[in-house]
Parts: sequence; structure tokens; C-alpha cells
Amino acid sequence: MTELAITARGLGKRYRRLTRQRHDSVRDIIGASVAGMFASNKVREAKREREMFWALKDADFDIERGENVGIIGLNGAGKSTLLKILSRITTPTTGTAQINGRLGALLEVGTGFHHELTGRENVYLYGSILGMTRQEVAAKYDAIVDFSEIEEFIDTPVKRYSSGMYVRLAFAVAAHLDPDILLLDEVLAVGDFAFQRKCMNFARELERKGATILFVSHNMFSIKTMCQRVIYLKKGQIVFDGPTNEGLKLYEDDSRLEDVVWFRDGAEAPIKFTDVVLANERGTPVSVFDFGEPMTVKLRYKVDGRLERPDIRVGFERHDDVACATFSTSSDGVDIPYLEGEGEIELRTPPIKLVSDLYTANIVVRDARATIVAAQIGGHFHVRHPVFTNPAYGLYHEPGEWRLSAAAERRDEVKHGAR
Amino acid sequence: MSVEAYLPRVHSQEVTEIRPDRGWLDLDLGAVWRFRELLVVLMMRDIQVLYKQALLGAGWAILQPVFAVTIFTIVFGYFARMPSEGVPYPLFAFAGVLPWTYFAEAVRRSATGLVTDSELIRKIYFPRLIMPLANVVTPLVDFCIAFFILLILMAFYGMAPSWKFLLVPPLMVVSALLALSIGLWLAPINVRFRDIKHTLPFMIQIWMYASPIVYPLSMVPEQWQWAYSLNPMVGVIEGFRWAVFNQGEPNFMALGMSGVIILVLLVSGLIFFRRMERSFADVI
Repeated sequence: MTELAITARGLGKRYRRLTRQRHDSVRDIIGASVAGMFASNKVREAKREREMFWALKDADFDIERGENVGIIGLNGAGKSTLLKILSRITTPTTGTAQINGRLGALLEVGTGFHHELTGRENVYLYGSILGMTRQEVAAKYDAIVDFSEIEEFIDTPVKRYSSGMYVRLAFAVAAHLDPDILLLDEVLAVGDFAFQRKCMNFARELERKGATILFVSHNMFSIKTMCQRVIYLKKGQIVFDGPTNEGLKLYEDDSRLEDVVWFRDGAEAPIKFTDVVLANERGTPVSVFDFGEPMTVKLRYKVDGRLERPDIRVGFERHDDVACATFSTSSDGVDIPYLEGEGEIELRTPPIKLVSDLYTANIVVRDARATIVAAQIGGHFHVRHPVFTNPAYGLYHEPGEWRLSAAAERRDEVKHGAR
Repeated sequence: MSVEAYLPRVHSQEVTEIRPDRGWLDLDLGAVWRFRELLVVLMMRDIQVLYKQALLGAGWAILQPVFAVTIFTIVFGYFARMPSEGVPYPLFAFAGVLPWTYFAEAVRRSATGLVTDSELIRKIYFPRLIMPLANVVTPLVDFCIAFFILLILMAFYGMAPSWKFLLVPPLMVVSALLALSIGLWLAPINVRFRDIKHTLPFMIQIWMYASPIVYPLSMVPEQWQWAYSLNPMVGVIEGFRWAVFNQGEPNFMALGMSGVIILVLLVSGLIFFRRMERSFADVI
């Protein structure tokens, strides 16, 4: 009897790159295969190699029973692919894995809910989809409804639910799955604050009962609280496997400077950024900013020849590619006649009013004709908001001004609230 | 908090092996059995939502075949004076339309079901075979409802059911297996190329006229009947009429032919489906 929950040996998954040659209809594929028939073997082989890429490569790891492991990495690093292989949604191209115990995978909360069915019917449906037996769902039914806090709507079709109610019910079912091994893909980031705390408690409860949890998240704080160990994936490969703090540090230090995925201009960019530092007010490089703290972005550049009238932009993007803010020299009224050789540019931002999440600073340079000539990832940073800890609160926060006007007989009590 | 929460976890002895490839003949039907609850739940779901938010509800299960039979009776029975083997034409056509409507709907559902539920395929693991299996069962509900209309119609024309009615369920199993085997071939192709969805309606239309629904098998020239019976639905529909009306001789040649063809399609379809299943989540 082994004490290992998961063993993976040489796991790899190769995908076809999504190029313009993707065939979506039979006509396309016939055309392409006719063209392919006239190509030589060598050409075909090379083309095949070009079209393929490894989403995950040579992943080796053992996970012991009861361990909580965080899986970190940028978008497209292979985190979801790994979870999909382990949950058997997709088969690996290479390697093997063995899973000892009942596995539950939550790659998305609420997949399988049917809009026309009532909450009650969906509890049974979703429970079965997640791998529970009917008796199991029946036995846990009251606890599930209780957990979801939407008892009075349980016989309403879920299409009439608000998205919050929908997620609550779905998570309530998922939380009662009680597997030996749980694969979680960022699903804890749902619902409001109180509900989220409930979910976190539930995860802890599972942990205390000895369940093994594999947890994919962009949220450094939840990784820190939940996991003692992290596996850091980069471009499909495991580059670190060990203690959480060490791994998170590596993750943050790493990949500060790379080309933005969508910018793959074959030609050499006329301007390159050799160093980007995100620093706090005192100029100390940091990766976590408190809500309301200004940021200093220091850019060191190197120009090939002479770049006329550039517009330099620093943009913040949330980890899921939602653009949040842009600072631009031209719109901020800074006129740069030209850039030559090497130098430094410093941007001081106003207080950052973003909610807790992981963000990326991107640097984009346009030339005088507004053509993008360079685009680089300038590093990742976290914002820590004291209360707003997930995307459910939106992107941006600024305190509002509130006024209360009460009914006539209670006017005296709230006098201070009225003007 | 319950006491059991404090007890150490008893781990399941389940061991799952994940590897890139399986053999050609590893159909792993055991996995389907282990997930039988999900199969039942998915069937229930499809049946529950079948007529939700439709004013006439299950009335559609009756109206559709009744409309079809009315039109066939006017066009083929009244204008074209099609022979109907001694049975009133409306009855004759109804007994053909009934199993056909089931079959057509079962094929349509099983061929497109994977794509309809693509979210499940992308995010949840279960033996994919469950989908087409559930899909061919759902339209049986419509069949059962419409079957009552056939009984009423027979009573109206003064025909009594015989013991051969007992042969109706096995015949429906045969047409379900045929629909399943077609679905097993079409569903994986539809995952990759949505063309199937567009081709299917007229494929089914053509198939209907190649089956003895509006005309009897005896209309087909004798020397061509063997070729005609290569269509596996010929045996099913003729068998259905024979069982319901208790008239004439059963066409064993057509039924036997159906059996062999269904067996070949089913086994090859299973292998094909299992083979393609591995990439469903990647390409759907």
C-alpha cells in the first residue's frame, strides 16, 4: 500500500498550434491534403514539427497523501493542461501517471448545470457529473442546500438565478464531493467575501481530513495560506518543485522581461528594454503593492539607431488579460523628440486603486506613425486590498460617499447622516 | 460538526492509471458500467428538459407524427393511391412513421450530442460513450407517447392487437442499436467537423424515402429487394408493421440483413469512437 496520492512520470502533452491552416471544414482539409501530397517527406516533417508545440513536457513528480500543492505559472505555462491530464479529460502524449484514491476535479464551477432545471434537480445532476452516487447526493442534500444559502429558490429553474446564486449552489455541491484527491482550478475565487471565507474553511476542513489538494491559482495569497509546496511551471516544464516561499519568490523574480505573446514581429525591434524595475515610493523593488500605494516603474532601454517621436506606454493587465490602465507619454503630455543609444525612463504612477489580484506591467512603444515597434512584458505584481480580495468586487475601487435618509419617525436618529 | 469529520480519512482503494495510448480493441466498457449512474442522470435530464417551456408540452410528441401521417395520407394514400397491404393507409403510414421518427431523432441526437454538451466534454471526465447512449434513449419517450395514438387509431379502424405486440420492444432495441452505431460514427466526426450537423437533415430525409414508410416493401421490384434490404431500417419497419398488424409473413431476409449490418456498424463504431474519444476535449 503506497503512501503516494499521485505519481507522474514524463507526462507530456503536445498540441497542434492554432495557425491559419486550421481546418474547420471538410473542404479545407481536402484542399490542404492535396497540397500536402505534392510536398516532399522532409518538408512535411518540418511543417509538422512547426505546427506542434508542447503544452506540457517531461513532468515528473510525486505527491504524498495529505499534501497540498500549489501549481503556479503564467498563462499558457501548462497548469490547466496538467490538471486536465490528471483528471483524465484529455490523454497525455507521453508519460504515465498513477492516481491512488478517488479523484475529484473542479476545473470550473457549475459546468453541467442545466438552465431549464430547478436548483434541486441540478443538485442531483451536478453531483452525478462530479462523480457522486445518487444515494450520496441524497444523503448530503440538506447540507448542500444549507451551505448554498439559497433554500427559498431551490425549486426555481436556475436560469432565473443571479450569477452569484448559481455559483453558490454549484460550489455547495462541489464542496460536498469529499474526494481523496481534489484538483482545484482557481474556483475558490467566487462569491462574496463571507461565502469565500466559507469556501476556504471547507478546503481547510478537507485538508484536515487528510485529503490531497492540487491547487492552481494566480492568487499568491491563497497559495500561501493553503499550500506548503508549489510546483512552478514555465513554458510547459517544471522549473521548481519545493517550499512555497522559495517557489513564489522564483516565480516573481522570473520572467520579468519577455516579449508579449501577441508581439512576434520577425524583425528586430528598434528599441529593447534591458531592465524593468517595479518599485515602491522609496525606490525599493517590490512585487506586492498595497492598495493606494503609488508605483515607480524604471525602464532601461537600448535603441538601435534613432527612434523618432516615440510614444512609450506602460499598461497594467490583470492575469486574465483584462487591460486595467495605461500610462502613455504622449497622452500624459510628455514629448520625446527622439531616443538614441541607452538610457533610463522613470514613470511614477498615481496611487494604485486596483483590487487584490495578480497584474502584469506591459511596455509598448509606438513610433511616429503610431505603429507598434516593441512590446514587452515588464514584470508581474500583486496588489493587496484589505477587503476586496477577488474579481467579484470588480477591478477598481475608490471609496464612495454615502448618505442615508430614513423614514420620517426615525429621522432624528440618523440626523448626522443627512445634510 | 459531525463526529466523522474528526475521524482519519479512509482512502478509497481506487487506482487510476493514466497513459497515452490504448490498444485498438480496448473498449473499456467496464468504465461505462461504473458510470451507469451518470448515464441514468443524463437520460433523466434530457427527458426532463424535453418539453420544458413549450406550450403544448408532450403534445408535440403526438402532433409531429400525426401531421406527417396526415400529409402522407393525402399525398400518397389519396392522390397517388399507394397500396398499403390491406391495412387502411393512415394506419399503414403511422406504423412506418412511428419507428422512423424515433430512429431519425435518435441519430440526430447521438450525432450532435457531444457538441451540444461540449462544456461537459471540456471540463469533466466521464466515459464519452455515455453521451450517445443517453441520446438514443431519450426519444423513446416520444415513441411511447405516440404509440398510444397508434393504439387508438387501431381501435378506431377496428383492429385488435395480437401477441405479436410483444415483439415491439425488441424491435425498438434493434433500431436503438442501429441509431447508436450510426451515432458512434458520426459523433466523433461532428466533434471535428461541424459539417455533419448541416448534412444530417437531408441525409435523414433521403434515408426516409429509401425506407418502406410511405410505400410497402412489395412495391420494390423483386430482383432488387435484396439490395433494398441493405438498408437496415427496412427490416425494422417491416418487422414493426408485421408485429403490430399481425398480417403477412415476417421478412426474415430483411431482418437478418439488418442484424448483420447493425452488428458490423456497432462494433466498428465502438472501436472508432474509443479511438477518437481521446482527443475530444482538445478539438471540440
